[in-house]
Amino acid sequence: MSIFIDAGTTVEVQGATGKEGSYWLKHMKEMGTKVVFGVTPGKEGQDVEGVPVFHSVQRGMTRHPAELAMLFVPPRFTKDAVFEALDAGIRKIVTIAEGIPLHESIQIRKAAISCGAMVIGGNTSGIISPAKAMAGCIPYWIERVYKNGDIGVMTRSGSLTNEVTAEVVKGGFGVSTLIGVGGDSVPGTRFAELLPLYENDPETKAVVIIGELGGSMEEEVAEAMEAKLFTKPLVAFIGGRTAPEGKRMGHAGAIVSGGKGSVKGKVAALEKAGGLTAAKPSQVGGLLKQALK
Amino acid sequence: MKLFEYQAKEAFAEAGIPVPVGALASGIDAVDEAVAVTGVPCVIKSQVLKGGRGKAGLIQFAQNEAEARHKARDLLNSPHGVRKLLFEQAVDIDRELYLAITLDPVNATAMFIACAEGGVEIEKLAVEQPDKIVTVKVDIAWGIMPHHLREITFGLNLSDDIAKKVSSIAQKLYGVFRATGAELAEINPLFVAKNGEVLAGDGKLIIDDTMSEARTKYPLAPEYFDTETEYEAALEGIPYLQFDGDIALMCAGAGLTTTVFDLIHYAGGTVANYLEFGGPNYTKALQAMRLCLKNPSRVILVVTFGTIARADVMATGLVEAINVLKPDIPIVTCIRGTNEEEAFDTLRAAGLEPLSETEVAVRRAVDIAAGRKT
Repeated sequence: MSIFIDAGTTVEVQGATGKEGSYWLKHMKEMGTKVVFGVTPGKEGQDVEGVPVFHSVQRGMTRHPAELAMLFVPPRFTKDAVFEALDAGIRKIVTIAEGIPLHESIQIRKAAISCGAMVIGGNTSGIISPAKAMAGCIPYWIERVYKNGDIGVMTRSGSLTNEVTAEVVKGGFGVSTLIGVGGDSVPGTRFAELLPLYENDPETKAVVIIGELGGSMEEEVAEAMEAKLFTKPLVAFIGGRTAPEGKRMGHAGAIVSGGKGSVKGKVAALEKAGGLTAAKPSQVGGLLKQALK
Repeated sequence: MKLFEYQAKEAFAEAGIPVPVGALASGIDAVDEAVAVTGVPCVIKSQVLKGGRGKAGLIQFAQNEAEARHKARDLLNSPHGVRKLLFEQAVDIDRELYLAITLDPVNATAMFIACAEGGVEIEKLAVEQPDKIVTVKVDIAWGIMPHHLREITFGLNLSDDIAKKVSSIAQKLYGVFRATGAELAEINPLFVAKNGEVLAGDGKLIIDDTMSEARTKYPLAPEYFDTETEYEAALEGIPYLQFDGDIALMCAGAGLTTTVFDLIHYAGGTVANYLEFGGPNYTKALQAMRLCLKNPSRVILVVTFGTIARADVMATGLVEAINVLKPDIPIVTCIRGTNEEEAFDTLRAAGLEPLSETEVAVRRAVDIAAGRKT
């Protein structure tokens, strides 16, 4: 098993005929993802890699019901695309867009909460259950990173995820499902909200979180562990221990302000809750072994 | 993007929020004119983006014109890079309040934060006296309603007359917050004057610069940045921070670059600049290296592990940048990810050693910076 997406999950792709959309739709299909239709307004009747394209999500859904919406849509149109998927009844949505207007990110998350849906992203490379299915732009073919196994991974980063997950694999493990929640200050779904899914997944034996300075998502994970909502072993790598306060380190959400969001505080909270924390990516494999002994 | 106080107050005033009578002086020659607007006594406020201006002596009072000129000159000549001064009529203050709107990323709402004690750091107050702070959440889709405003004014225990004025200001502040897609709209302190007026003593507005409307109204300018190179990087859309250490980072991926930043410090090294040319910038190796070379450093460290930001494209870009810019400092490369075999070949052909372990690359760079043989 895996969480959020597996080999049987039906997926529709919004922005399917665009450069990025068509490129990654092809890879998603090649990996085995069940892509049932694509959406590009004005392009109904065309196909991408044998996948039929419709004007709208609603029109596609009547012919080929989908459970998950994968959005390759520019940031300015992302809110509309998310709401279109929600309106069509889809409750799992992944958006990679970087630079979604802040107040629209808030509205997207609020709508998702109201509908009982989950929106993953923006500013993420997506989600993958290795050897099963993928929604996003994840290079599943890099074997030393995207190997199938029993470790759940949650991350706020892209390149750093490759770096850290390579260490998971080097440690002799593989990945059950990897979810990039994204680097924005208002992600659609937060780390702690995914923990119950991993808790209930029999194929996930432990979870690795790849966090960074800023925000409070890592602290919320610690709270969920304290509340016993998540009881499996957890290893965290959190970047930005030596970052200066008040400087935004690349990601919109990666900033310490008013003394809040420091890595020191996050590490202390996670360790108090029984998590193990790595100072360097290369320690992650060893800590997993220790945690699973 | 954080705006200057005078810009925030302009936005507040446009929305109908009362602000003290004021005038902006962009140099010493404009001081007399500004004082003519405000009269004396007046307050002279340095327009810098850093907090703690009061403690740093960047806000001064002047009793007469001569003192205003004298103090204005001192502020403009201070080492704090003050380019503009906001002159304001002094307000006879009865009490100070705190009023702000920000976002609650967990509940996905806008959130008012108000406090009957203004002028202090709200973060400090939140820790020391959390019961004094009133928070009111507003669903952006539903909008602001009278009950939200009542929650604030009753929470602050304001008299009817003051409550009415604060209520009106809160509603207008919400309008500014929404119109600018702001991360924060803050009035601290919100003055209650002895004559019963309520007006914004200070203004802080952090707007969403992904909104093109914001970019049109507040175009990028050097004054928003600590250094000229940070401004140039922003024009390129490349995240860049300048430091005064030895190792120039030319990495890809925000999280990975931040991690390399940490690893350098763990290994005893220092960073000359943080630069991240991943994501949409992965073809900009030339611009990235040009930025790195603006600031003195002993070695350039390139670490990537890209997906869409393909390793082969980044390696080719790097080699081209070296050919064009001919840097006279060594370059350490650790470029991995999509098509990394081709990337390794490209780097070898250019006489660079393709490392594949981040920590090995970091140690190499730290050794070179320290003058150790590698």
